[in-house]
Amino acid sequence: MDKRIIYKNTDGTIGIIIPADCGLTIEQIAKKDVPTGFKYKIVDVSEISSDRTFRNAWTIDEAELTDGVGE
Amino acid sequence: MTAILKVDTIQDTAGNNIINESSNTITIGASGDTTNIVGTLQNNGSAISIASLSTASGSAPSYSARAWVNFNGTGTVAIRASGNISSISDLGVGNYDVNFGTNMADTNYAVVNNSASSYSTSQEQWVLQGAYEASAVQKFNLTTRLVDNDAPSFVAHDVANAMIGVFR
Repeated sequence: MDKRIIYKNTDGTIGIIIPADCGLTIEQIAKKDVPTGFKYKIVDVSEISSDRTFRNAWTIDEAELTDGVGE
Repeated sequence: MTAILKVDTIQDTAGNNIINESSNTITIGASGDTTNIVGTLQNNGSAISIASLSTASGSAPSYSARAWVNFNGTGTVAIRASGNISSISDLGVGNYDVNFGTNMADTNYAVVNNSASSYSTSQEQWVLQGAYEASAVQKFNLTTRLVDNDAPSFVAHDVANAMIGVFR
């Protein structure tokens, strides 16, 4: 899939979910694999930097996580 | 018009059993026979797909993987191929959750992975990969680290080839 699911961890870092080709939709994977109660955003893979030099410092404004909540 | 044939054994012209039913057990063919099934073999309505499943030698049973994945943890993290994996969660450098499509029966499963590989022999660097936590039926955590013998250091490290199988 060319989509990614972003959520914010409790320590402020972000988790990025890479979906597998498993027969589930991106929305179903998001509901299932985002931690329960955590808001998420589905984005194009092109929006994620491939330069991971400062990966652990990546963060996101929680107000941007508007596509749903992990179940 | 339909008809019902009530027998417990069907034999070939030589008198060898082709199908036999006894004590609620149905036996198809006999030792040494090859049984070709044309069409789909189903288990209570669900398709069974078996390309090849055999033990090459010896009598010890063989067990197939419940899940597997091959992914690139560098650059744009991506799954190359997988089975019974819904996703990988990139949690930071060298830190991933592997999420199952269908949960394991319990947390006593075994994660087998390419636990060590030579990263740079000349620089005395190795990559270690390990399932840090298998305490959930729906996922486990995987961490990867770079061991630099002459630095010395032991730091979180993204791996280009994470290859994992899960057995239960």
